[in-house]
Formats: sequence, structure tokens, C-alpha cells
Amino acid sequence: MGATTSMYVAQGIHGLAYGMVLFLIASGLNVIFGMLGILNLAHGAFFMLSAYFCYSVLNLTGNFWLALLLAPLFTAFFGILLERFFLRKMHAMGHMGELIMTLGVSLVILAAVKIFWGTENLPVKMPPILEGMVSLGGLEYPVYRLFIIGLAGVVLAIMTLLLYKTRLGKIVRAAVSDREMVNALGINIPVVFMVVFGVGTWMAGVAGVVIAPILTVFPGLADQVGMDAFLVVITGGFGSLLGAVIVSIIFGLLSSYGVQFLSQLAPVVMVGFMALVLAIRPSGLFGVKE
Amino acid sequence: MKNKIINWFLWVGLIVIVAIIPKVFGAYYVNLIVTFAVFAVLSVSLNVLLGFTGLLSFGHAMFFGAGGYGTALALKHIAGLSLLSSVGIGVLSASVLALVLCPLVVRVSGTAFAMLHLAFAQLMYVLALKLRGITGGEDGIGNFPIPPFTIPGVASFNMTGVPENFYYFAMIVLGFSVWLMWFFTKTPFGQIQVGIRDNAKRIDYLGFKVSHTKAVVYIVAAAFAGVAGSVYAIFHNLVSADGSLGVLVSFQPIINTMIGGVGSFFGPIWGTAIFQILEEIIVRFTDRVELVIGVTLILVIMFAPQGLAGWITTLKQRFFSASSHKLEKIS
Repeated sequence: MGATTSMYVAQGIHGLAYGMVLFLIASGLNVIFGMLGILNLAHGAFFMLSAYFCYSVLNLTGNFWLALLLAPLFTAFFGILLERFFLRKMHAMGHMGELIMTLGVSLVILAAVKIFWGTENLPVKMPPILEGMVSLGGLEYPVYRLFIIGLAGVVLAIMTLLLYKTRLGKIVRAAVSDREMVNALGINIPVVFMVVFGVGTWMAGVAGVVIAPILTVFPGLADQVGMDAFLVVITGGFGSLLGAVIVSIIFGLLSSYGVQFLSQLAPVVMVGFMALVLAIRPSGLFGVKE
Repeated sequence: MKNKIINWFLWVGLIVIVAIIPKVFGAYYVNLIVTFAVFAVLSVSLNVLLGFTGLLSFGHAMFFGAGGYGTALALKHIAGLSLLSSVGIGVLSASVLALVLCPLVVRVSGTAFAMLHLAFAQLMYVLALKLRGITGGEDGIGNFPIPPFTIPGVASFNMTGVPENFYYFAMIVLGFSVWLMWFFTKTPFGQIQVGIRDNAKRIDYLGFKVSHTKAVVYIVAAAFAGVAGSVYAIFHNLVSADGSLGVLVSFQPIINTMIGGVGSFFGPIWGTAIFQILEEIIVRFTDRVELVIGVTLILVIMFAPQGLAGWITTLKQRFFSASSHKLEKIS
């Protein structure tokens, strides 16, 4: 095993880890979109907000695991507030209203973050247990990236089980296909929606916490990573969990190898891939035609 | 008939007011009005897409920026270029960009259309930042020579020294653009757009080509956004990634359109005026533009989703119900 191989493998791991973070954000977006038909433009902002919460909790307690637990919950709380008090009224106005509303909220969050935390890059220390490298089969792997991949895998597994094996999942899936009927059956759809919105933002929150030690925390996070997640959702197809998984991994690898080989033009590769997919399948890789 | 005469008087009055503004107000307000006119044209061009065809674009800035960069690059590299042809090059570059994108974007609509534009605009923004050799990176392109506006054999107006001259030039170009767009929405072709917005399937059954129509409208909207960008670049003698391609530049015309009223032709112009006055007041207290834009968006969408035009319509219907149908016809 030469140095080149290990470099490729390391880049691959980095790409996979970034892809998994993208997947966490994108699947949160997808869950909300599939269920409520809302494209939550504030999703990236929630992701960034969670990274800031993580920074603050870490500053107060010094415990990364507590931050991983609390920050996404705070974020989900704000998400639920948004759904309950702002988005619910927008439903009658169709997509336009929801897009504009979430856009406004994302700008307000961005401004609030700049007011409370400033615009500098805030460093977040990763827990000592996850620092360093682990040696496996003659190659070195950064532990933290493996941790991200593992965590995202666990979240994916839980989501799949929740959606396909539980009663709640059944209700959610039924509500996606026929909202009125499920409501008529005596299930409180507004509450289900609120929970789903909370779960979606919670996933963005988890992504925000795990990425904080890698990228540091700064206001551009929402644009930088959040935009990639939106691209994932568009390319993978709105509402498709499978599409989100596959495209996230492809995007993660494209971005890490793109940075290695093309450096400056890495974002172009991703958008190029998206354009290619959309040229062939306008509704995304696994999207259902509207 | 009487209405028509009054209308003519109003138009003439407006032109006279526009003409005498630089004589009455100082340079600061003249600049403010040029900025207003630029964003009004950008907003109206966005509304041609959004209000008349039902396509929400989150990336209209890329055409604005294409116009700006096209003009700036042309003026920088081509010696002896006349002012109008430099604007023409800006418009052409925006239209070409739209022409390249339209086979892809006319296939989607609704949310996918909006997000696709956000992505492409972001791509343009990144490209403008990274391709330093061409675009100057973060610094943008500045200090390019601005030629005088010449009517061959008649007169030549110097653009750089006298702010008034540029004011008149900008007003004529932008006013003409608004007039053209108004004309465009009144043509039978422009009426098909409204049909597409309301019921694309039916328009398809009637034998019109929905995708082709969308593509043409798309290119027209892009071209006029290019006009705005081009004039804006000459106005500031600078074109930069943040100022011309940034996300906020894309959102600004959406907000203006929302405030003024989606689907009303003159709504976005009113919206631009209102927002600019608001901003002018608020900037004296705080410099957090995002917060202002965000809060405005939320408030407008919650309490006046049809914007000023919708609000006025409601008022008119309530108090002068006889004249209400006329307003609907305009919008």
C-alpha cells in the first residue's frame, strides 16, 4: 500500500463522511417535503443554528455528547415553532407562500445568528475519544469521519425502521398519499405534521453538530453546506429517501475528489452532475413525476 | 375616452417630473432614483416570469450579473465601444445564458424550478469568485472606461463627469425596457403566458407549445434583467460577485414583487419604491439588511399575500365596487 493509495482512501473517507452529513440534512428536507409538501428553505439555516447551539453548549458544559443530544433538540423546537405559528397559515396559499415564508425565516435566523454569535469562525473541539487515526488493514482512517458515517448510518436505520415498521410510520405514509382520509379516520394530522417537521429539523440539527468540529462554525455554513443539501434533494428526487442516500454519497465523493483534482472548480462538478441528471430525468433520479 | 386623455396627461406629467428631478434634488437623490429604476426593471422582469407565467426563480441575479459582467468586460477589453452597444452586449450575454439554460429549466416548474435557479445562481456566483483571471474574484471589475453617449453627427453626452447625463440615459433605457415589457405582456403571445400560469394543460390542448412559450418568456425576462444589470454596472463603474450575483440580489426583486403584488404589472415598481423608502429609513438605525428583508418577507406573506396591488383591489371592491372590475383587467 503506497502513499497514493492511502491518500485516495483518506479522500474517499472524507467524501463519504461529507456525503453522510449531506444525507442527514437532505433526508430531513425530504421527510418534510414528502410529508407536508413544503420545501423548507430555512432548513440550511436550522442546520447552521444547531452548529451554533453546539458551540454554546460545548462552551458551557464542555461535553460534546451533551451538545450532540441538546443542540438538535433545541433546533427541532424552533422548527416546531416555525411550523405551528408560521407555516400552518401558509398552507392555503400553496407553494409560493411557503417558499417565501421559509426564505424570510432563514434570513431572520441568519441575522439573529450574526447578532448573537458574531460573524467570526468559532472553533469547536471534537471529543478526545474521536481524535486521531485508527489503523485498519495497513491504512489509517480518521476516527471522527468514521464516527460521522456510523452515526448517519444509525439515523438512517432508525428512520427506515420508524417509517416502515411502526404505526407512526404507517400513519405518516398514509397521510402522504391521502391527507383528508387519514384526518377523517380520527388521526390528528396537524400534530403529526408538527412531529414530522420537528423530526426533519432534528436531523438537520444532528448534521449541524457533527459538522461543527470539522468546518468550524460560521454564518456561511447555511449557504455552503445547506446549498449542497438542496442540490442533493433536487438531484435525488423530491421526497425520495433512497435518492437522497445515493446522491449524497455521490456528491460527497465528487466534492472531496473534486477538491483534490480540480480544487477551484469542485462546485462546478456537482452542479454539472445535477444538470446531467435533470436533463435526463427532470424530476430527479428517483423522483416521482408531479 | 375621457380616461384616456387623463392617462395621457398623467404620463406626460410623469415624464416631466422625471426630467426635472435632477434640477431640483441633489446628486444623492438622483443616485437613489437610478438605483430604484434599476431594481424596478429587475423586479418587473422577474414578475414577467413569476406573476405572468407562474415560474418562481430564486436565481434571477445570474441574469442581472451576466448583464453586468458582459458590459463591464466589453468596456474593459474592447476599445472604442459605444455606450449603447456595451449595454447591448450585456443584454446579449444574459440572453445567451438563458438560451443555454432554457432546454433544462423549461422541463421543470414550481419548486424544482425555483431550486434549480438557486443552484445555478450559486454556481455563477462561485464561478465569478473563482475565475479570478476573468472576473477579478472578490474585487470584481471596476474602473472600466465609460464612453460618452453619442448620437452620430448630432451630439455627444459625457457620462462620467456629469451625474445628470447618466441619469437621463439610465431613465430612458430603463423606461423603454419597462414599456417594452408592458407591450410584451399585452401581445397575444403574452396572454398565452397567463394561460400557462393558470392551466398549462389546457394551453397544451389548445395547440400551443407550452415548453417553447416558457422558453421564450424565460429569455425575454433574462434579457431585461440583463438590461438592469448592465445599467447598474455602468452606474457604479463596478461589477462584483456580491453586488450583482449574490443571493440577496436574487431575493430583492422577489420581495419587491411580493410587496407590490404578484401578477400586477406595475405592482413590482411600487414594491421597489416602497422597499427602497423603507430601506432608506431603516438603514439610518441598523445595518442588518438580512433581518429587514426577512422580516418584511414574513410580514408581507402573512398579512398582505397579494401585495399592495391586491390590497388596493380589496379596498376598491369594498368601497367602490363599481370600478373594481377595471382594476382586475389591468392586473
